[in-house]
Amino acid sequence: MPSPMSLPLRMGEQAAGHAPVAPFLRFSTLWVQITGTWCNLECTHCINASGPAEPWLRPIKPEVARNAICQAEELGVKEIYFTGGEPFLHRDILPLLDFALQAAPTTVLTNGTLIDASMAEELAVLATAAPYSLEIRVSLDDTDPERNDRVRGAGVFDKAMSAIQLLHQRGLLPIVTATEIARQDDAGGRGMHERFRDFLVSRGIEKPRVKIMPVFALGRLARVGGPVLSEEDLAGFDRSTLQCSESRVVADGGVYACPILAGLPGARLSDGGLEASFRDAPLYHPSCVTCYQTGMTCKNG
Amino acid sequence: MQERLAEYRRIAVFGGVYSNAPALHATLEDARRRDVEAVFCLGDMGGFGPHPDRVFPLVKERGVLAILGNYDESLAQGKTDCGCGYTDPRDNHFARISYEYTFAHTSVENKQWLGALPRHRRLRLGSHRVLMCHGSPRVINEFLWESATPAGLLKRFVREADADVLLCTHTGIKWHRALDTGQHAVNVGVIGRPENDGSTNVWYTILTAGPDLSVEFVPVHYDFETLARQMDQEGLPPEFGETVRTGWWTTCLENLPSKERSRGKF
Repeated sequence: MPSPMSLPLRMGEQAAGHAPVAPFLRFSTLWVQITGTWCNLECTHCINASGPAEPWLRPIKPEVARNAICQAEELGVKEIYFTGGEPFLHRDILPLLDFALQAAPTTVLTNGTLIDASMAEELAVLATAAPYSLEIRVSLDDTDPERNDRVRGAGVFDKAMSAIQLLHQRGLLPIVTATEIARQDDAGGRGMHERFRDFLVSRGIEKPRVKIMPVFALGRLARVGGPVLSEEDLAGFDRSTLQCSESRVVADGGVYACPILAGLPGARLSDGGLEASFRDAPLYHPSCVTCYQTGMTCKNG
Repeated sequence: MQERLAEYRRIAVFGGVYSNAPALHATLEDARRRDVEAVFCLGDMGGFGPHPDRVFPLVKERGVLAILGNYDESLAQGKTDCGCGYTDPRDNHFARISYEYTFAHTSVENKQWLGALPRHRRLRLGSHRVLMCHGSPRVINEFLWESATPAGLLKRFVREADADVLLCTHTGIKWHRALDTGQHAVNVGVIGRPENDGSTNVWYTILTAGPDLSVEFVPVHYDFETLARQMDQEGLPPEFGETVRTGWWTTCLENLPSKERSRGKF
């Protein structure tokens, strides 16, 4: 029985060597894929098919994360992100966030379901003491509970909203992150942004922060034979706008070019050393088309 | 051969004029009283405020030494976007209104003048080698916020630039970091818009050479009510006038890091 990721794992991997590339311009962003694909939810659109079953991409050890952060600081990183899976499942998440915040501003991407009052309080203490900003991105796919839970699972809307309010009450100003999976008539863009903003204000969030992400055709939404980029497509295109020109991801198995493709062999640029990964990234995967077409970034802004 | 740099003992530096001619006038008067040898502007003459052409005579007459900001670059090159680097739809909505107004009301001659500005300046302040840029040394519209700019990155910037002091602007909020290497990074602030702290004044920076570098942030009070009235008369968004009258940012908030955002009202 193939694993949920066996198809996208194979898809296009052999083509990586012949694909057009994004030149490595500068090192700005370190992503720490801390829990691999280990998650307490099983969202229908998850880009790496994370879930509670045995993860196809394993969590990384705390010392691997610390080592990457130390290297990144030395190399002049601008910001650090923690993602998964669900980062708050990692038993060392708080000390690791604390460690990262001594080096650079740090963001953690979470589904919010594990943030209760006590965790929110600990995060607030950590954020206040840190020299740099701590950003917490909480995923929410719709302002309607039922539509959200259809994508993210029963009861998830209420838990995520509780986390958003607990964090906001403590001055942490979470960034609510939505994908366009459950889009309505506002069809993404500013309309969707305004809908989320208005909704958050109506729920007492005085300083609403919203980020909208496109849906990617991989993970649980992977298709066979999706289009990939060619040199022709990229003629006249500014490749420096692609996040793989300045981001690197440490995950199980090495350092990768892209947070969305972490764990896939075609995206792996080094077996472990961060500086060794500072080379051109192959734009081989159908997901690269989404970045090219939408100009999206996984970063906060 | 080593580059020969202009040398100073005491200079005034500001960023982001944003078409705020009253604040520019007040800043230049204040700097003159404080006995500085030269005045520098780190870019962005236009945007946000009314009547963009009114700042140019002041800048030229007073011999302000300017560098190119992203707004200046966009105006000079006839771009359709200000290049501020916002990624949020709400920020971009207001940025578009501001840029279209500024582009339409900036003369061809002034656009050409902007296009001739250098991207960086180097000088000596006593023994300190100074690099001036708009956003960062590497990207004209990179935001260097105090809570989102690691010391490791600043060390890399000064090392790569072969400098001791880095001066930047672009974010709209001033800060100074003395690095443990003895080097300095200063965001000199802007004089076009208040600092999102509930005060209507704006800020510029005076740097004085000595055994160590002295960095002094100077508040500038100006006739903000006249400016806000002109903004209303020109049909600029009421949100802009509100910022000038209250000192709280109402737009361009979405890319603020959490520490800076939490200090503001909105």
